[in-house]
Amino acid sequence: MTAKKVIETKKVSRVFKNGEIEVHALTDIDLIIVEGEFVAIMGASGSGKSTLLNILGCLDKPTSGDYYLDNVHVNMLNKNQLADIRNQKIGFIFQSYNLLSRTTALENVELPLVYDRTGRFSNSKEIARQALELVGLADRIYHRTNQLSGGEQQRVAIARALVNDPALILSDEATGNLDSKASIDVADLFVKLNNKGKTIVMITHEPEIAQFAKRMIYLRDGKVLTDEFIKNRSTKEQALLDLELTS
Amino acid sequence: MHQLLKTFKVALKAINKNRSRSLLTILGIIIGVGAVIMTISAGEGATKQVQDQISGLGSNLLMIYTKMEHRGGSNVRMGKPIDKRDFDILQKNAVFISKLSPIIVVGAQAIGPNGYKSTAIYGVSNEYFDVLSRELYSGDFFKEEDVKNASKVCVIGETNREELFVNLDPIGRKIRIDKIPFTVVGLLKEEGQGAMGQDQDDLIIAPYTTVQNRLHGRRRGYDMIMASALNENCISEAKIEAAELLRESHRILEGEENDFEITTQVELQEITGNITGILTILLGAIASISLLVGGIGIMNIMLVSVTERTREIGTRLAIGARESDILIQFLIEAITLSLVGGLFGVLLGVVGNQIIYKITDFYIPTAMYSILIGFGFSALVGIAFGYFPARKAAKLNPIDALRYE
Ligand SMILES: Nc1ncnc2c1ncn2[C@@H]1O[C@H](COP(=O)(O)OP(=O)(O)OP(=O)(O)O)[C@@H](O)[C@H]1O
Ligand SMILES: [Mg+2]
Repeated sequence: MTAKKVIETKKVSRVFKNGEIEVHALTDIDLIIVEGEFVAIMGASGSGKSTLLNILGCLDKPTSGDYYLDNVHVNMLNKNQLADIRNQKIGFIFQSYNLLSRTTALENVELPLVYDRTGRFSNSKEIARQALELVGLADRIYHRTNQLSGGEQQRVAIARALVNDPALILSDEATGNLDSKASIDVADLFVKLNNKGKTIVMITHEPEIAQFAKRMIYLRDGKVLTDEFIKNRSTKEQALLDLELTS
Repeated sequence: MHQLLKTFKVALKAINKNRSRSLLTILGIIIGVGAVIMTISAGEGATKQVQDQISGLGSNLLMIYTKMEHRGGSNVRMGKPIDKRDFDILQKNAVFISKLSPIIVVGAQAIGPNGYKSTAIYGVSNEYFDVLSRELYSGDFFKEEDVKNASKVCVIGETNREELFVNLDPIGRKIRIDKIPFTVVGLLKEEGQGAMGQDQDDLIIAPYTTVQNRLHGRRRGYDMIMASALNENCISEAKIEAAELLRESHRILEGEENDFEITTQVELQEITGNITGILTILLGAIASISLLVGGIGIMNIMLVSVTERTREIGTRLAIGARESDILIQFLIEAITLSLVGGLFGVLLGVVGNQIIYKITDFYIPTAMYSILIGFGFSALVGIAFGYFPARKAAKLNPIDALRYE
């Protein structure tokens, strides 16, 4: 393989201990994702999708196993280095948005730039505004979190993940709260970002959304059940057509 | 440095976002700090006032009086009363005493040209004015001859002048005390309220001979003898000497206890020092309680918001804030709230003291250390309840902070 490895996990496991009970959320995950890939992760509820993505996003640590991000051994990094990776390399979209309350959409999206130490961004307000425009919220930038619908909050969270121009986008059910049409828009946005060279890992439980990706990994009980390339990828036009036919 | 500036903005924004919580926290601190300053200052003020007044009596002062015992709710005289014989012996033989005066106090009604008033009549000798170093506003003290002749003259306090004369000049005019006419020869300089709140200008001073003959009636002896020692260095000598002379005069055998008591100004200061010390401790206790209440209030507000703020910290960590960014943000928040609350608390304390002064005439100098204690408290509360929970949260894995419930 000639492409650069972005993600490599070696026997990554995650065990949650709740007193006596142990939950094996992930068991021996071996995974390689190279630059420019667009991966959909599917699986039943509780199969470990979020747990995996949190580890890939440097938000959580594996109980055992090794994780390499851009060939850097993440297990060995200290807290500040992890924070900087999250800030510079990764755009993470949470299943539950995790926006700051009583804060405008613009300020929420601007937040990653507040913690940027590279000085890459000169006009953070303008960059944040553009990110909101990209997700179709240009007319909502001064609305506060509690004045936005669930779908709008979801899109603010997407804009926030894109604002620091990350090489790797990790999305945990970004379309979970959107209607079919809006979901297709987001999927199409991911395709465009992927075409620009960004590596994308996206959790979804909707097969028609997963169909936009290039590769699909199916998890069951914390293990990889299937891992295959998608042959006939969906496009926005096709998905919209299908939508019309079914309704 | 640039990052610090950004974090500073973040902290101020967070204070603004959580406006009601910030205001309640500030309010708690204001009340706590204000209460501490006011109570401590009140204790200090009372102590200082009492002490000033006692040292105002003249540090050479000795008070000689019959031993009293507290029995069934009233003071009972235990020994032979201090009388003329004792006074003469002291006057003649005590070398360490320079001036002395008998004191007889009776209550009586005084009637002046423009009003009347019930007041205390002090029967004293002319040396009384030297012993207590009281000053006159106008007129003169009465003289030795007045005492010798039991003249019907008196010196009055400002409160009595106001009631009896209103706007007349009292000097040279007559007043009636229990129907007996007295000529006013002097008016005392106003002294204001005493340490225990008594009016120090509500008195009439007359020769003790006159008081004894005309007003006192049946009662034998004096209430007290006030004397001043030759100088500050021989107060204890004066006390010992006076005691010896009085033991002889009272025919007290060796080994028997004195039937009188002699208190010096220094001892008086110690006694009142103890009393005001207790007062200060009491007020300090009240202050601590108000601190505690303020503190618990702030703690409640903070604890209620821990969940929300832990999630906020999780969010910030997740998008790349370093632990230090979070710590500095919350430290700035805590310091800002404490500082603002502390400043307004100091203001409340100082202004409160002034208001008390305006209303009650009780001057309270704001004690510097009470401001320090108040500020220390507000800083402590701010850091304990604002900073430490945040520190705990900032140490979590981002995902654990986000999931916090
Ligand atoms: N913090 C935790 N403590 C204990 N157990 C946990 C924790 N987080 C996840 N788990 C458990 O790990 C398993 C995998 O959880 P995960 O959130 O990864 O599932 P998921 O595939 O994302 O499910 P969903 O589609 O519902 O989001 C579940 O059984 C869950 O109960
Ligand atoms: Mg999940």
